Amino acid sequence: MKNDDAELLWLDEQHEVTASELLELSGLSAEELEWLVEAGALKPIRRVPAAVTQQSNAWCFSGQCLIAIRMVSRLKRDFDLAPDALSLTLVLLERIRMLEQQLQQKNSQA
Amino acid sequence: MKFKDYYEILGVSRTATSDEIKKAYRKLAHQYHPDISKDPAGEEKFKEIGEAYATLKDSEKRAAYDALGSHPSGQEFRPPPNWSGSQGGQSYSFDDIDLSDLFANFTGRRQGEQHHGGHRPIPGQDYELAIQISLEDAYHGTMVDLNFTVPEYDNQGQLKRVAHTFKARIPKGVSHGQKLLLRGKGGKGANGGKNGNLYLNIGFIAHPLFRVAEHDLLIDLPVTVWEATLGATVKVPTLDGPVNLKIPAGMNSGKKLRIKDRGLPKQNQAHGDLFAVVQIVVSPNPSEQEIALMKQVAEISSFNPRVHFGLDTTNEK
Repeated sequence: MKNDDAELLWLDEQHEVTASELLELSGLSAEELEWLVEAGALKPIRRVPAAVTQQSNAWCFSGQCLIAIRMVSRLKRDFDLAPDALSLTLVLLERIRMLEQQLQQKNSQA
Repeated sequence: MKFKDYYEILGVSRTATSDEIKKAYRKLAHQYHPDISKDPAGEEKFKEIGEAYATLKDSEKRAAYDALGSHPSGQEFRPPPNWSGSQGGQSYSFDDIDLSDLFANFTGRRQGEQHHGGHRPIPGQDYELAIQISLEDAYHGTMVDLNFTVPEYDNQGQLKRVAHTFKARIPKGVSHGQKLLLRGKGGKGANGGKNGNLYLNIGFIAHPLFRVAEHDLLIDLPVTVWEATLGATVKVPTLDGPVNLKIPAGMNSGKKLRIKDRGLPKQNQAHGDLFAVVQIVVSPNPSEQEIALMKQVAEISSFNPRVHFGLDTTNEK
């Protein structure tokens, strides 16, 4: 089946996005992304070997995190969030995601 | 083009200071921002609020907006001749566009003229669509028709809202809540700007028989008292056709029987499992003979399923 030539990206834990994809897709700046990693709010899966890319922050992230990163990016844009608020929001969003996942699992077992 | 009263939307007077506008915006944004509001109408409302604020917070845009004059909300109108926003060789078909498209473009041209003496590339907008698919479609993979409208420039450089329609493949292996990104399938970019992206939120339509637990499926399996007692082989539906399932003797309600690899497909070719959850069901209208036989069982059986209550049962009838 032809996919109408669109490039399809799975946004989940089984797939990776690179730091540059994350920046491009979320609208965050490189400084903001670095801060999120530095603050421990965002955990890279791994670092791409320097031979593959020349970028200093050649991290790879779970495709799943793009959803939350886009949300904090929108909140930053619409509420002028400071970097601290950005990282705290991301941590809380991840906690909500985990709880929702657990709740969904419990409900479907019922 | 329909008029929108941006001051009214933010609940401020036409003479409000920029601080008052900002404060009013923030208050409403807390209430209606789609990422935090539980109001189902929040998204539409916030779009209006954001649109109003984007224009009124910028002094040049606000002046251009004020120059449109004041009209009742929703009234058809056209910008006056020589309106500042329509200079620069760009022509509009005012009937097809929205006030917000006009001001989004207004920024683009103004900044472009300042920095490059030409048009600044404007990236296309990102869109999010929620797609509901059946479990059968999730099992086999499917094509879905996507329809939404996006603002676009035509060959004459006119800005219009156009229907965006195409087929997208939903591959095998998606789960409920899966997010997919279709690159370049959002709004078209202008002046060499990249096309926006399209985010799909996949949800499963509730199935009359199967419940979903990640890639596993559950099905309630009603069994008779004698099937549960004696064991049986019964036909169970799966998303890939019926299978024969052996029910071992002595099954209780709530017991789960695993049917391997008959759940939803995963991305790595593997499948989840299907679990049949045993439910002992009694006949709603037993025949006289069935009742008589049951009475016989009741008389000869010494089985007490409530022995753990630790109660004296000699007077039970």
